Amino acid sequence: MSDASWLVQGVQALKGIGLNYAFVLDASERQAFVRGMFVTVQLALLTIPGSLTAGVVLAAFMTSGRAWLAGPARAFVEVTRNTPTLVQLYCAFLVLNMLITQVLRDWGAGNSPLTPFVWVVVVVSLHKGVFHAEALRAGIEAVPATTLEAARSLGFSQRQLLARVQLPLAVRFALPSLVNNLVDLVKMTAVASAIAVGDVTYESIMIWSQRDNVLELLLLILLWFGLLTWLVSRAGRWLEHHWRMPGYGQ
Amino acid sequence: MANEATLARAAAPSAVPAALLRHLRNPWLIAALAALAVVLTWNATGTTPAAFTHLWRWLPALLRGLWVNIEISVLAVAIGTAVGLVVGALSLSPVHAVRVVMRCYVQVFRNAPILVLIYFTTYVFPFEVSIVQWTFPFPDWVKVVLGLALPTSANVAEIFRGAIQSIPSAQWEAAQSLAFKRNQIFRLVVLPQCVRRMLPPWMNLYASITMSTSLASLVGVHDVVDTAQIASNTVARTDFTILVYFTLLVLFFAYCYPIARATRALEKRHERH
Repeated sequence: MSDASWLVQGVQALKGIGLNYAFVLDASERQAFVRGMFVTVQLALLTIPGSLTAGVVLAAFMTSGRAWLAGPARAFVEVTRNTPTLVQLYCAFLVLNMLITQVLRDWGAGNSPLTPFVWVVVVVSLHKGVFHAEALRAGIEAVPATTLEAARSLGFSQRQLLARVQLPLAVRFALPSLVNNLVDLVKMTAVASAIAVGDVTYESIMIWSQRDNVLELLLLILLWFGLLTWLVSRAGRWLEHHWRMPGYGQ
Repeated sequence: MANEATLARAAAPSAVPAALLRHLRNPWLIAALAALAVVLTWNATGTTPAAFTHLWRWLPALLRGLWVNIEISVLAVAIGTAVGLVVGALSLSPVHAVRVVMRCYVQVFRNAPILVLIYFTTYVFPFEVSIVQWTFPFPDWVKVVLGLALPTSANVAEIFRGAIQSIPSAQWEAAQSLAFKRNQIFRLVVLPQCVRRMLPPWMNLYASITMSTSLASLVGVHDVVDTAQIASNTVARTDFTILVYFTLLVLFFAYCYPIARATRALEKRHERH
C-alpha cells in the first residue's frame, strides 16, 4: 500500500517537470515493462557465455594451422563481420526457422522448439563470437614463440598447449577488447525487438503505441542499458585487475 | 628483325600464362565466372528456376533500396564526423566544465543501443518543422540519418581524442623549441599524423554505420531490407524467400567487405611507419 503511494508521488513529481510516467500506475503495463527488463537481462546472461564459447572455438579453428578448419572459420568470420545483425537475424528466423518448421511438420513432429528468443540468442552469440575470435586470435598470435617451445619441450600436446598456455595468455591480452565486445553485445540485444521477442525495447513499443510517452520510455530504456553496460565494464575492469600477471602485457 | 620477333613470341607464352594463372587462382574471379556460366546455361536452355526469374525482376528495386541505405550512411557519417571532430576537440579543452559535458555526451551516445537512438529520433522529432510561416516535411529517413549521426559523432570524438593523445608530448616540446606557435604545431605537426591514425578506425566506423542502416526498415523507411520483405511477401514462394534474404546478405557483404579489406591494407601499411 505504501509502495503504491510512493509510486503515485513519484509520478506526480515527474509530471511537474513535464514527464508523463502514468503507465507505471497501470499494473499490467508496469509488469510488462519489468518483464521486458528481465528478458533483456536474460538475453545478456545467455549471449555472454554463448558468444565467448563461439569466440574460443572460432579462434582455435583459425589458429589450428589446418586449412580445412581455418578456411571455413575465416570465411564465416568475414561474412559475419561484414553483414548487418538484423539481416542475419532475418536469415536465421525467417528462412532457417521456416525450413525447420516445414521439415518438422512433414515428419509430423509437431511445432518447432526454436522460439524467436532462442534464435536471438544463437544469432547474437555467433555475431559477437566472431569479434571475440578476432581479439583472441591476436592474443594467441602474441604468445611469445619461446613460451610455446618451452611448453612443447615439456611434452604438452597441441590441445594442452592451446588450453593451458595459449588461451590463458591470450585471454589476458585480449581482455580489453573482449569487454568492449561484451558492452556492444548487451546493446545489440535490443535487436530482439525486431522479431517480437519481449525485451525491454519491445515492451516499450507496445506501451508507447497505446500512450504518447515515447520520450519517457526511451529515457528508461537508455538508463537500463546504461546500467547493464556499466556493470559489464566494471566486471571487466575487475577481471583485468584480478588476472593481471606481473611481467606480461602492460 | 625476325630474330627479335621470334624472341618476343618465345617470351610471350611463358609470361602470359603466369599472369593468367595468378588471376585464375583468384577465388572471386572463379566464383564470378561460375555464376556467369550458370546464368548463361539457364538462359540458353530456358531452364532458369522460377525463384531466380523473380529475383531478376526484383533486383532493380533491391538495388534502389540499397542506394537509400548508402545515402543514409554517407549523410549520417558526414554529419557525425563534423560534429564528432568538434566534440573531440572540445573534450581536450582546458576548461574543466566543457570537458565533463563532452565526456558525458560521448559516454551516453556510445553506450546507447543504435536501435534505441533511431526510435528516439523517429518518434520524438515532429513529422514536420514550421519556421515562421513555412512548414517543411521531416521525412523518416532524415530522422534515421540523425539517429545514426549521434553515435557516429560520439565515436568520432573518441577516435579523434585518442589520435591526438597518441602523439607523444615530446613532439609538442620539440616543435615549441623550434619557435612554432601552438596552432602551427597543431596544424603542421600533430594533425597530419592524426589523420593517418584516424583513417582506419573511421573506415571501420563507416562500415558499421552502413550495416546499422538496415535498422531503418524497422521504422518504416523503404530501404533494401524493407524491399526484400515486400518482395518476399508479394511473391510468397519458399524458395524465393530463401533466395531474397541471402541476396540481402550478399549485397551488404559486397558493399562492406571491400571497405574492410581497404581498412586492413591501410593498417598494415601504417604499421611499418
